Amino acid sequence: MLGFTGKLLRVNLTDKTIKKENLNLEDAKKYIGARGLGTKYFMNEVDPKVEPFSPDNKLIFMTGPLTGTLATSSGRYEVVAKAPLTGTIGASNSGGHFGPELKYAGYDGIIFEGKSEKPVYLYINDDEVEIRDAEHLWGKNVFETTDMLLEEVGDDARVACIGPGGEKLVLFATVMNDKHRAAGRSGLGAVMGSKNLKAVAVKGSKSVQVAKPKEFLEICKKSRKMLKDHPVTGGGLPTYGTEILVNILNQSGGLPTRNWKDGGIFEHADETSGETLTEKYLVRNKGCFGCNMGCGRVTRIPEGKFKSFGEGPEYEAGWSYGADCGVRNLEAICKANFICNELGIDPITMGSTIACAMEMYEKGILTREELGRDLPFGDDEGIVEFTRMTGLREGFGDKLAMGSYRMAESYGHPELSMSVKKQEMPAYDGRCLQGMGLEYATSNRGGCHVRGYLTSPEILGIPAKLDPLVTDEKAPWLKTFQDLTAVVDSAGICLFTTFGIGLPEISEMLRTAMGVDFTDEEVLQAGERIWNLEKLFNLEAGFTKDDDRLPDRLLKEPMPAGPAKGLVNQLDVMLKEYYEVRGWDENGIPTEEKLKELSIK
Amino acid sequence: MIVKYFAYIRDYTGAKEIEIDHFPTLNDLLLKLCERYGSKFRNKIFSNGNLSNEIIILVNGRNIVHLQGLDTCLSSDDEISIFPVVAGG
Repeated sequence: MLGFTGKLLRVNLTDKTIKKENLNLEDAKKYIGARGLGTKYFMNEVDPKVEPFSPDNKLIFMTGPLTGTLATSSGRYEVVAKAPLTGTIGASNSGGHFGPELKYAGYDGIIFEGKSEKPVYLYINDDEVEIRDAEHLWGKNVFETTDMLLEEVGDDARVACIGPGGEKLVLFATVMNDKHRAAGRSGLGAVMGSKNLKAVAVKGSKSVQVAKPKEFLEICKKSRKMLKDHPVTGGGLPTYGTEILVNILNQSGGLPTRNWKDGGIFEHADETSGETLTEKYLVRNKGCFGCNMGCGRVTRIPEGKFKSFGEGPEYEAGWSYGADCGVRNLEAICKANFICNELGIDPITMGSTIACAMEMYEKGILTREELGRDLPFGDDEGIVEFTRMTGLREGFGDKLAMGSYRMAESYGHPELSMSVKKQEMPAYDGRCLQGMGLEYATSNRGGCHVRGYLTSPEILGIPAKLDPLVTDEKAPWLKTFQDLTAVVDSAGICLFTTFGIGLPEISEMLRTAMGVDFTDEEVLQAGERIWNLEKLFNLEAGFTKDDDRLPDRLLKEPMPAGPAKGLVNQLDVMLKEYYEVRGWDENGIPTEEKLKELSIK
Repeated sequence: MIVKYFAYIRDYTGAKEIEIDHFPTLNDLLLKLCERYGSKFRNKIFSNGNLSNEIIILVNGRNIVHLQGLDTCLSSDDEISIFPVVAGG
């Protein structure tokens, strides 16, 4: 089977051993790669009850069969571990150039085991693989670390690393690669930090072989043309980036405002929108490996107290610091987002946690004395300063480093955390987008928008136009979207390709790259297999139906205004149907028949 | 009525937002706007006499495909939002 290099690195950080082993091709055929295959390896080797910061928790970097190939937007790889923020399976996907480079060095993935006594980094140059001292890098931010490593090993290397956030075990620390790209959610950077693993620097001089080069080239060319011709992937995303969503979510009444307590309409939305970002601060757009969309934003705040230069913000980060914190100053939002990249922390959870603290301050639960300053909604300096303090665990930042759920719970108010399974929900209000509410409740890694993305049919009309305010059809649509996104994450291409291409094109790329005669239905079924495997992990980790829920605010506090005025999320109605559609029992447990059908057991 | 424009639709209108007299249906309003902004705008909004599938129109936050489409009746205090199809996440 091709598309893969066929080799994995197994690096034991405790005894400093490095082994090269053959990839399990049987599992690769069933779980595709990256997210699916990484999770399968993890499940085979790690007890789901493991403590996330225990040396027994493993950390897996895994590419997919399309990573680093001519397939469009194929810069993706996955980081897998048990997640410290949620306690669920943690699987975070990142773009850039690191994943392809790992394959060019000859490896589909790396399994890190144990814990080093002292800071180290892994150096890979084709067959030369070494665990090297990283004492001199410890304490350095992501940009400094990357620059120092490139100086040390040569600037043709690609670097994935953690910043101070990961070192200090901020529960939502990221693994950053190519400086600005993040395996962003649920705290896998902190797992890396707990192992004293500062970075991976990789150089490769090999290639990736596919099974049917001619046919593969044809489908890659066709897919690229479809993406170029599509108004979203060939027009909107390159021009405006993901922040373009601010206004349409706001006009639809689904932009959660001030820790979700003020409904889904932010009166200053346009000031924080993709249009404003493009008009005032965009330097240029930027793409990851092999991408002709180029949705990345290179942005500069030219002067003033938030003067800065960096990448982003993406829509969810722009929302968390913007509407969710009631902040209208896009310069402050950009600056706070840049700091997240520098320190290696997730801006979705960071901004949402500050928003939660703002509501606690407003209610008198948190005081000026405790915080070290006032923190009202709309405080532009506050979002920047508390982001910095959190990444470095200074002052009250030490409490914010726990994420909103643990922070609010420590003051007796967990209900003020807008999270599911202790991970903060992103920028789509489930009272307005009923399907997104179901998606948050059932996501295998807690509150998350890329485990399905029903926003696409509910608001954007892609690939169909579903009414966001109703529950009809949401369960079956969500199942399909969850399974398909699992396929895409596992293949090694970007989720955004699915705005312009679909299952037929993705399946054909997988068939011709791997040389496996999957039908389209079998490819989608592999996604269902991956979803069920993740679910099994969470069940064995101790999660139950009671965890498939939403914050009370979404279930009991009706939307105050806008098209969804008076609505709450109808989770009970949809969840029952969802379990049925999934072939799970009434407690959300996959039946024996379903597991047999999927060849999981 | 207030009409709001977003993303590159603003390039065709030269405005983010306008106030306009009441029109009984969305189709009536759009025809008037096409008259005002010319062929580039018209070609974005309509395709073979139907609403282009590259356009999203909201009336008071509701996508018109969930209302009565181009036949959606309008009131004088309605807010109409016109977007190109966009995505992100």
